[in-house]
Amino acid sequence: MSQKTAPHGQGISRPRRTWDAQSLALVAVFAALIAVSAIVPGIPVGSFGVPITLQTLAVVLTALVLGGTRAAAAVGLYLIVAFAGLPIFSGGRAGLQILAGGSAGYVVSFLVGAYVLGVLAELVIRRFAAARRVLWFFIASLLVSVVIIHGFGVLGMMINLKLSWNAAFVADLAYYPGDILKDLVAAVAASAVHRAFPDVLVRRVKRA
Amino acid sequence: MSRIELDGVTVAVSLEDRPDKVVLDGVSATLTERRVGIIGANGSGKSTLLRLLNGLVEPTAGTVSIGGMDTVRDGRAVRRQVGFVFTDPLSQLVMPTGREDVELSLRRSHRSRSERAAAAQSVLDRFGLGTLADQSVYELSGGERQLMALAAVLAVDPEVLVLDEPSTLLDLRNRDLLRRTVSGLDQQVIFSTHDLELALDAERVLVVDGGRIAFDGSPAAGVAYYRELCGLPARPRA
Amino acid sequence: MRGRPAGGILAGYVPGSSWLHRAPLWGKFLGVVAAGAASCFLLDWKASGAVLLVLVAAWGSARLGWRRLAGSGRLMLPLCAVLGAFQWWQLGPATAARIVLNLLVCFVAAGLLTATVPLRELLDAVARLAHPLRRWGADPERFALALAIMLRSIPVLAASFDEVGDAARARGLERSVRARALPVVLSAVAYGRRTGEALAARGLADGD
Repeated sequence: MSQKTAPHGQGISRPRRTWDAQSLALVAVFAALIAVSAIVPGIPVGSFGVPITLQTLAVVLTALVLGGTRAAAAVGLYLIVAFAGLPIFSGGRAGLQILAGGSAGYVVSFLVGAYVLGVLAELVIRRFAAARRVLWFFIASLLVSVVIIHGFGVLGMMINLKLSWNAAFVADLAYYPGDILKDLVAAVAASAVHRAFPDVLVRRVKRA
Repeated sequence: MSRIELDGVTVAVSLEDRPDKVVLDGVSATLTERRVGIIGANGSGKSTLLRLLNGLVEPTAGTVSIGGMDTVRDGRAVRRQVGFVFTDPLSQLVMPTGREDVELSLRRSHRSRSERAAAAQSVLDRFGLGTLADQSVYELSGGERQLMALAAVLAVDPEVLVLDEPSTLLDLRNRDLLRRTVSGLDQQVIFSTHDLELALDAERVLVVDGGRIAFDGSPAAGVAYYRELCGLPARPRA
Repeated sequence: MRGRPAGGILAGYVPGSSWLHRAPLWGKFLGVVAAGAASCFLLDWKASGAVLLVLVAAWGSARLGWRRLAGSGRLMLPLCAVLGAFQWWQLGPATAARIVLNLLVCFVAAGLLTATVPLRELLDAVARLAHPLRRWGADPERFALALAIMLRSIPVLAASFDEVGDAARARGLERSVRARALPVVLSAVAYGRRTGEALAARGLADGD
């Protein structure tokens, strides 16, 4: 049995002071998803078998599935718990130490990137029919990956590791092929989620 | 016992790009018995029927009331009076340990932390869960988890208890434990099940089929009706 | 989704009763912030080295275990080596030493905090921090609830990653990111919705 939806008919509209239980739980579960994806072993891809980690994939997916505010909350929750010492940063690291290292910029970028991409995802859902969403999800996540995630990542390496812009940019380049693939997977997966659970974000946005 | 009334209840789920799907179609019933069993195939609408009882699903048309309170208008009061236990206790127990989960249920009803701890302890003891209370809910067996979920819901003393297929995930021994526990409860219990033996514990049985109540009467007749509906002989061969 | 105990998930904390364990949380937190600031202000590698020695001495006096320090240091070692060599080539040995030492200062200082405060206590402290923000709409109780749901979702999702991985391998799809990621996300959404429904049924998200 899976009638999960409370129908919204006949002008029943209760004022919602804060998030409903549904959103609260989704934010918490997606924070956990980001955490788990950072600690499970990567997936070997293609004939080279280079493992790609799933963390950026999880962050992009969270944004595409939950929308701006809730995605930022999920990433924020994940960061707070990881800073507090649960070993859920990539490679099983934890604590405020991460802010000292080379990946500090990427970590911070997740928060900003999730919010911006989530807002874009809401826009895509409002504008485009289900069939064309994969393409626009992909374009939006590519844009956010390149501008925000890699932007902050390069900035982080420049500040923490005192690298020059050029050196940081080259160090960052290695992540591009994997990230483009991840954005594509995220776009396909997110549109599948919206088909399977139309009221996770679609109906919220359309009613708004 | 509370008087549970469903009056001309229709539930339709709107789907994108497709016409609305009618899950329940003009259901009316008045439930006053201590034990009511609801049986029906997957997708027949019985889960939706149960979810109407504490406002988790709101009727598209018609009304549902519990002891005179409307489930939409008085949603919060209804939820305090109607406890709901889900099939999978893992999605229901939100805290890492049983004790914390029971205390979470009690958070509104008791002022001080020590009062809450004492109340939680007494609930846990009543169900024989005292020694398991501080273990991770993952380390409990299926039956223990289901009892823990039941304890957390009963901690706030609801008048009505709704159980959604409570024995589906349990083995034979745990199912028996659940049956004995439920039969000892003072609450009015409404439950759905595929477990026809459990259905026979009820005083009244509703068979739901295609969004309507197809049968309403004694458990033995209800089970026989449901078996025939599924193309099986009315009585299992001995 | 089958459950399994989350092993080693509280790896950050080392139980003990040393002076550092008993020191107030805010004091330790200020220490971490100061160390972070130091990486900008300490311009001589000798000063950085001295600070690092003090922090390492603190680690020893709190009996946090040398093996642990070495273990977490091993994570940093490749980064420090590459960075040190690169900066030596770019900026000379003194500057390279300063940059690497300052990085280690931040790393050890943050490690001191997370090793001497239990995770629960840290999270409670974060929830308390949210209290003054109440008037701007923050809700410490909901925050605590979201936190609890996140922590207990991690083992559930980790198990689902495993299960999906096995299923993909069984079908020869272990290299397909989509076959590995999509079922996990779908089950995460379904799990989040069931949890949200259970919260709503128990009236836990009704607000006050």
